[in-house]
Amino acid sequence: MASKLLRQTLTKTNRSAAIRCFSTAASVASPSEYEYPTGITMKGVKISGRPLYLDMQATTPVDPRVLDSMLPFYLSRYGNPHSRTHLYGWESETAVETARAQVAALIGASPKEIVFTSGATESNNISIKGVMHFYKDKKRHIITTQTEHKCVLDSCRHLQQEGFEVTYLPVGSDGLIDLDRLGKEIRSDTGLVSVMAVNNEIGVVQPIEEIGKICKEFNVPFHTDAAQALGKIKVDVEKWNVSLMSLSGHKIYGPKGVGALYLRRRPRIRVEPQMNGGGQERGIRSGTVPTPLVVGMGAACELAMKEMEYDENRIKGLQERLLNGIREKIDGVVVNGSMDRRYVGNLNLSFAYVEGESLLMGLKEVAVSSGSACTSASLEPSYVLRALGVDEDMAHTSIRFGIGRFTTEEEIDRAVELTVKQVEKLREMSPLYEMVKEGIDIKQIQWAQH
Amino acid sequence: MAASGVASPTRTEVLQLYRSLLRVARQFSDYNIREYSKRRTIDAFRDNKNLTDPSQLSAAFSDGKAQLEVAKRQALVYSLYASKVKSIMDIKPS
Repeated sequence: MASKLLRQTLTKTNRSAAIRCFSTAASVASPSEYEYPTGITMKGVKISGRPLYLDMQATTPVDPRVLDSMLPFYLSRYGNPHSRTHLYGWESETAVETARAQVAALIGASPKEIVFTSGATESNNISIKGVMHFYKDKKRHIITTQTEHKCVLDSCRHLQQEGFEVTYLPVGSDGLIDLDRLGKEIRSDTGLVSVMAVNNEIGVVQPIEEIGKICKEFNVPFHTDAAQALGKIKVDVEKWNVSLMSLSGHKIYGPKGVGALYLRRRPRIRVEPQMNGGGQERGIRSGTVPTPLVVGMGAACELAMKEMEYDENRIKGLQERLLNGIREKIDGVVVNGSMDRRYVGNLNLSFAYVEGESLLMGLKEVAVSSGSACTSASLEPSYVLRALGVDEDMAHTSIRFGIGRFTTEEEIDRAVELTVKQVEKLREMSPLYEMVKEGIDIKQIQWAQH
Repeated sequence: MAASGVASPTRTEVLQLYRSLLRVARQFSDYNIREYSKRRTIDAFRDNKNLTDPSQLSAAFSDGKAQLEVAKRQALVYSLYASKVKSIMDIKPS
């Protein structure tokens, strides 16, 4: 019966044929109010089809192989992994432990050092607040950078309100921190150094190995947010000398809602739990471990290990194609962040003499993010770009292109075409650009006050 | 997974597996997954073209067959939940 259904559905491209076989459901999954056969209308925007996705730093699509590994745990193997008395619990627990080993293998750790959480944000909270609260008698100082993820900065601000001291290291115009400055800022009461491995906005890869060496020298625990780095660059907790590492599931083609925290055992780093309860995950994070999500994360990690080299080579080629394609047609394109120490799948570009919001409004067929996405409610340019020293007007026009495993050459070509068209159109209308073409230096203009 | 004792796949079997994988890849309703499956199949078979060691050959072949099963199931799942509107890349400019 199942194979007949399979054959029917696979041979007929008409989807409604498959649906008629399942007469119970009212209609197919979630009929959308905004999708019509002619296109999509949402928030006043009309497009003819689903946009091409170039926002891999925000989230990634779930790989079908990952989905395949997760589905049995939603269908028949739905037990709670903490149930000790029956098969449902045992099989669920086995699956969780397998996933734990898969995650550990990708980062060069032991499975006993992995704690599953609800995401990298939770892992960051546990690392920063947990470590500082545990050692609060002796250690009152944290060092982090100005370009960290919002959750790290917010946790540090919360600690500041409790009386801890925080040093926010500045970054150079290439996005990298100054290692000598880091060494100087470390004090005797420094409890934690937190530097993210790959920045989500500009894609810059920090010198984690060197930072690890400095922290080892001064015997300070080192935490890194590796949400964007996992599965993309080589992560090795021994080489990096990290004591804590935050990992995210939905950045490596896994499901949303799951992440992990690496906690070193030798030398042991202790944290105060942020979630109290039944003592699951060695007391660090109580709560039922979501088996399907965790299995998905494990499968995604195993896949990442196999596919890392293949993906990286492809994505590198696509990034060059994108950058060269745009640079061939228009000038005044600036790459934000260091070009050499960068993850290949992240390209953050600023277009001179173009207004950011209008550029984004014209790029509705490409799903990209602007530099000020996180702070778009306030129209403030991104704090990361500000930390890089990028001018306000350039920061406003920044666009972040995220390339991933499933991006095709055609999508890159189409994105280049659409971006170039939109930028040219906006520059055509811009009086500032006219003045620049005539050779006037905009910064020297004395604007008359009326 | 012990591959010793399993006979190496014949040329016909390998070609059949290749064609089946490409056929299932074409059936994905999602543009990105479809293109990825096609491309990954071609690249994987090309990379393994020069394998001679029988245990490696059987391992690669069984891996391929397992992937085919996954692909068949997922092609069905994706078609059941496919969006009514196609990706912009699938829409030919009129």
